[in-house]
Amino acid sequence: MMKRDMRHKAFALAAALFAAAWVCPAADRSAQSTPPPAVLAAMQDELSRSMQAYSAADPPAYFLSYTVSDRQLADVSGSNGALLSSTEDRARWLEVQSRVGSYQVDDSHKLGDRPPSWTSPGTNVPIDDDLPVLRREIWRETDRQYRAAAQALIKVKTSEQVQVQSLESTAPDFSSEQAHTSIGPRVEIHVERKPWEERVRRYTAEFSKSPAVLNSIATFTALSTNQYQVNTEGTKLAFGQIHYRLELFVQSKAPDGMDIERYANFDWLDPKDAPDEKTVFDSIHQLIKETEALDKAPLANPYAGPTLLTGRAAAVFFHEVFGHRAEGFRQKDVAEGQTFTSKVGEQILPSFISIKDDPTESSLGGQMLLGAYPFDDEGVVATDVHLVDKGVLKTFLMGRSPLVDVPHSNGHGRRQLGYVPVARQGNLIVSSTQAESFPELRQKLIELVKKQGLQYGLLIDDISGGFTFTGRGQPQAFQVTPLVVYRVFADGRPDQLVRGVDIVGTPLVSLTKIVATGDKPEIFNGYCGAESGSVPVSAVAPAILISEMEFAKKETSTDRPPVLPPPAHDSDATKGQAQ
Amino acid sequence: MKKLIPIFLTAVVCAACTTPSFAARAAGTAAAAPVPRAAALPVPAARPAAQADVPATETDQTLHAMHDEMQRARTRLALTGVDKPFYIEYRLLDLDVRTVTASFGALVSSSASRTRFMTVDVRVGNYHLDSSNFISEDGFQGFLGSTGEVGIDRDYNSLRQDLWLATDQAYKAAVTQMALKQSFLRSLTKPPEIDDFAPTSPMVKIDPRQEPEWSSRNWDEEAREASVVLKDFPHLYGNRVNYYLVYATTYRMTTEGTTIRSTRHLAAVEAALDTQSDDGMSLHDYFAVYRATPADLPDAAGVSKGIAAAAMDLMALRSSPLLPDYTGPVLFDAPAAASTLAQVLEPSLSGARPPLAMTRDFDSFIERFGGRSEWSGRVGTRVLPTSVSVYDDPTLADFQGQPLLGSYDVDEEGVKSQHVDLVSNGILRDLLMSRRPGPDFSLSNGHARSALLADPHPLSSNLFITSSDALKPDDMRKKFLDACKDDGHEWCIEIKRMDNPALAAVSQEDFSEFVGSLGSGIANGDRAPLLVYKVYVADGHEELARGGFVQGLNTRALRNMLAVGGDPYVLTYMQNSQDGLAGTALGAFGDANAGIPSTVVAPSILLDDIEIRGFHGEPSRIPLDAAPPLK
Repeated sequence: MMKRDMRHKAFALAAALFAAAWVCPAADRSAQSTPPPAVLAAMQDELSRSMQAYSAADPPAYFLSYTVSDRQLADVSGSNGALLSSTEDRARWLEVQSRVGSYQVDDSHKLGDRPPSWTSPGTNVPIDDDLPVLRREIWRETDRQYRAAAQALIKVKTSEQVQVQSLESTAPDFSSEQAHTSIGPRVEIHVERKPWEERVRRYTAEFSKSPAVLNSIATFTALSTNQYQVNTEGTKLAFGQIHYRLELFVQSKAPDGMDIERYANFDWLDPKDAPDEKTVFDSIHQLIKETEALDKAPLANPYAGPTLLTGRAAAVFFHEVFGHRAEGFRQKDVAEGQTFTSKVGEQILPSFISIKDDPTESSLGGQMLLGAYPFDDEGVVATDVHLVDKGVLKTFLMGRSPLVDVPHSNGHGRRQLGYVPVARQGNLIVSSTQAESFPELRQKLIELVKKQGLQYGLLIDDISGGFTFTGRGQPQAFQVTPLVVYRVFADGRPDQLVRGVDIVGTPLVSLTKIVATGDKPEIFNGYCGAESGSVPVSAVAPAILISEMEFAKKETSTDRPPVLPPPAHDSDATKGQAQ
Repeated sequence: MKKLIPIFLTAVVCAACTTPSFAARAAGTAAAAPVPRAAALPVPAARPAAQADVPATETDQTLHAMHDEMQRARTRLALTGVDKPFYIEYRLLDLDVRTVTASFGALVSSSASRTRFMTVDVRVGNYHLDSSNFISEDGFQGFLGSTGEVGIDRDYNSLRQDLWLATDQAYKAAVTQMALKQSFLRSLTKPPEIDDFAPTSPMVKIDPRQEPEWSSRNWDEEAREASVVLKDFPHLYGNRVNYYLVYATTYRMTTEGTTIRSTRHLAAVEAALDTQSDDGMSLHDYFAVYRATPADLPDAAGVSKGIAAAAMDLMALRSSPLLPDYTGPVLFDAPAAASTLAQVLEPSLSGARPPLAMTRDFDSFIERFGGRSEWSGRVGTRVLPTSVSVYDDPTLADFQGQPLLGSYDVDEEGVKSQHVDLVSNGILRDLLMSRRPGPDFSLSNGHARSALLADPHPLSSNLFITSSDALKPDDMRKKFLDACKDDGHEWCIEIKRMDNPALAAVSQEDFSEFVGSLGSGIANGDRAPLLVYKVYVADGHEELARGGFVQGLNTRALRNMLAVGGDPYVLTYMQNSQDGLAGTALGAFGDANAGIPSTVVAPSILLDDIEIRGFHGEPSRIPLDAAPPLK
C-alpha cells in the first residue's frame, strides 16, 4: 500500500523516522578514507565477545548482527493557520539479531499458518558516546534475543508442522551473504525551525481562505539517520542518509457526506533545494481548486471500459498491482496468493514494457527518488534488479529469505525501525519501448471508447494508496483510490471531473490489457506500508492506456458536512471575527 | 487539528472503540433507586443555559475562541427532527513537557514538547436521561472526531475552526448514541432509574497563566550526574533514570456557565533498575520523587543518593534467600502499608456505577474504567476495624510540613474540591463522587479526576487512614512478635516496601512480562512486595528474602486488623485507575500507565492470616557471557 501522506501525527512521525535518501558517496569509494566511528568499534568488540560465547552455547548461535540507528529528527507542523507542533529529537535505537540453528532451518522458520511476528525488538541506547554503557546495553539485548531465538527453535524442532508444504518451503530460512565493509562519513542536519514555523502557519492559513477546506495540515520534517551495522559474517557498515520533506494535506466534505482529501508533497536532499514560496503556494492553490471542484463534482457510476492513467497514477498502479507481488518473501509463504511464483520466464506484460527496481539511483531527470539507499536494512548492498524484461518476468525482489531458485538477497530487505526486514520495493521504474505523446494516448482512448460503443472513457490524473490483497484467503484483487478522475467524452464535450470511484479488478488481467504507453516517465514519491512497516519508495512510470478497467462506487461516509458554516466564513456570526 | 493518539495505545485499545473518545464516555450509571445526597437541584429544561461571559479585557484568545464558538453552537447548532444539545462542554489542555532520560551516567534522550489538546462533549436529552453513559457496538464514526490535537499558538482563528468541527462531530455522535440508547432501554424490562448527570453550580475561576521555567537548571547534566553512581554497581543489568517536568494549563467551559482556567505543574524523577540473582530470578527496584515544580526537585546529588540506596537494596535482594510459602501475621511498615492501602482501597471508593452496555463483551472494559467498586451499596455497614477512619481531602496543601501532591481547588468537572469522610470508626459513611450519580449518592463531591483529557472518574486525592487506637512503634513490634509466638511461628513476615512494577520496569517489554506473570492475580488481591524480611521470634533479628506475592489481600482482609501504628507516612505516587498498579509520571500526560498525582497518608498496620506465596516459577537462565565492565 502506498500513501503519499500521513494524516495522523503518530503515523507521520513513525514514518518520517525512517524516511531517508542516500547522500553518502558510493560505498566502495568511501571505504578507505574515514576511520571507523567509536560506536562501530564498540559494537564490533562486543560482537566478537558474544559470538565466542553464543556459538558455543546449546543451541549454538550461527549468526549475530547488531544495528544502531542514530536518528535526528526535526518536525514542524501547522494546521488551520496555527503551529501544531515544533520539535527536534535525537535518539539511538539498538537492534540485535540472534539466529540459532542453521541457514537451512533456524528459529525464524515459519510454522504452518501461524503468522510470523513482523515487529522486531530493540531498545533505546545512550546518545552520549559512552562506550562501556553501549556495550552493556548490547550485552543485555544479545542475551535477550538469544533466549528468544533458542525458545523459538525448540518450537520449530518439535513442531509436527515442519513438513514440506510446497517447493518453496524447502528453501533455506536465511541466506548467507558476502561480507561488506563500508565506512561513510557521519551526516548531520542543522535546521532552523523558526522560519519553518512561520511557513507552515502561512501555508495552512492560505488553505483556510477557502470555506471548502475543513481542515488543513502542513508538515515539514528533516531527518538524518546514521546507521551502524556489524554482523558475524564480517559486514561492517556506517552510512548516513538525510531527507527533507514538506507535506500538505486538506480535508473537505461533499454535500452528500463524501470525504474529500487532497495531498501534495515535496522531497529534497539538500537544504538549498527546498521548494520556494511560489512553488508551494501554487501547489496550495491547485489543491484548493481541486478540492472545491471535487466538492461540486457529480458522483461517478460503476464503469468498465478504456482508461487512461497519467504517469503519476500509473506509477502507483504498478507499485500496487505488480510491485507487491514481486516481493520475494511472498513466493514462499503458503498463505500468500503467489500470483507470480511460477511465472518466472513467462510473459506477464506486453512485450514493450520492462520493469526494474533500482535503489542505487537517487534521482531521475533531476528529480529526487525517495526509495534510494546504499545498503538495505539487512546489511546487503542495494542492487538494480531487472524484474521484467520485455514483458517477461525475470526474478523477484529479495531480502535474506531465499527462494529455491533465488538463493541470495538482491539488497531489498527493508523495514521501518521496529520491524523485521522483508523484501520491499525501493525505486520501481517502469519503461516502455512504445512511447507515444499524451495527446496521442488521449486520441487512442477516444477511439477505444467509440469502438466499444461507450459514451466516455476515464482519465485518472491522481491516485492515492490503495489496498493490495496478496493473501490467499482474500480475493486476488487490488483497490486503489483515484483522487482525480475525469470523464473523457467520445463526442468531444469538455472533460468532466467526477468523484466517488475505486478501481477494482484482478491484477494479472489488467496488466495484460495495457495497450499503449506514454513518452514521459513521471515520479511518485511516497511511503509504502506493508508487513515491515512504512518505508520510503518511489514509483516511476509513463502514462498507460488500458483497454478495459473496472470501477466500483466508493464507500461513502454517512457523516454529513458540518451543520454550521465555518466560523471565519459565517455571515450570520453572533460574534467571532478574527481578533 | 489532528486526532489525539496516545503514545501507547495499549491502555485504551478496544476492538469496538469507534473513536478515541470512546473511553471518555465509558463510565456512569446503572439500575437502582437513587439516594440523593441532598435535595436535588431543579432539573433544567432540555435547553442549554447561558454561558458566562469572558471579560472584554481578557487577553487570552483561547477563552474568547471557546466562548464564541460555544455561543454559536448553543444558539444555532441543530439538526432537523432530532434533539438540540442540552449541554456542551469544552476542555482544553495546554501542555509543556520536558523529559530527560539517562542511564549509567550517559544521556539516552532529552526533549521538550509543547502540545495542546481539546475534547468536546455534547449531550442531548436531559439530566435524567442523556446521550452519555452508554456503550454501543457501533456508534457514530465521524471523519475528525471530537477529540484532537490543536494549534499551539494560543490564537483565536485556528481554535475556533477546530472547536467548530469537534462540536459538530460531538453533536452528531450524541444524537446517534441517544437513538441507540433509547432503543436499548426499550428492550429492558426495568430501565435504570439513576439519573445520567448530576446538576452542579456554575463556577468561574480564571487563574493566572504560568509559563514553563526549566532553563535555570541543566537537566541533561543533572540526569547524567544523578545516574553515574550506578556504574558502581557492576551487577546491575540495566537502568533508566527519567526526569519529567510538566506545566499544564487546563481550560473548561460549559453551557451551565462554568469557565475555568487553572495551571498545574509536576516535576518527577523516576528511576528503574534491574538485575538477576545468581539462580536466575529477575529482580528490579525503583526510586521516585515527585514535586509540584521543577525548582522543588532535589539536586543531582540528592537524587543520586536515593538511586544508590535503591541499587543497594537491589544488590542485597540479589544475594538474599528465597522466601518460602507462609500464612500468618504480617507487619506492614508505614511505607508498605500506605502503598498497600492505596491499592486495596482506591477501587472501592467510587460511588459511580458503570455505564449501560449493549453487549457483555464490554464488561471487562467497563471494569477497568471505574465500573468496579466493592463498597458501593455498603454504606452504613462496617468495612474496617472500629478504630479506623478514612477521609479524602483535596483541599489540604500539606501534612506535618510535607506537601501533598493530590491537592486541587476544582475537580476535572469544574466542581469545587471537598473533604469527604469516607469511613468513620469503621463504618462506611460516604463515597467519592463525580457528576455521574450512583446507587448510593447522586451529587458530586468534587472528586472527578483524570489524566490528560480522559474521562474523569471519582478518584482519591489525598487519602488519610487514621486510627483512634494507634500503637507506638515498640508496642506495635511487641504485638507483632506476640502474634507470631501465639501462632507457633519461628519467624514472621515484615514488609518494609511494596513493589511498583510500572516504575521499576526498565522497558515496556519488561513491564508487560511482569504484568503477565501476575495474571489475574491483581483482581483477586495479589500484591507485590519488594522488601520482605523474616523476623525471628527468638531474638527479633531480620533476614531479607526475595520473591513471593501477598495473596488475596482485598477489602475484606482489612475489616479486621490486629493493630494500627501511630507513625503516618506520606506516600506520594501516581495513581492509576486502570489496572490496579500504581502508574508513572509519564501517565500524567497520556501514557499507557496513566498516572494521577496522589497522596496516601497511612501508618503501619499489622494484619493476621495473610497468605504469602513464595517463588514457584521457573527462573530464567543467567546470561552466558559475563557483563562487559562499566568503567
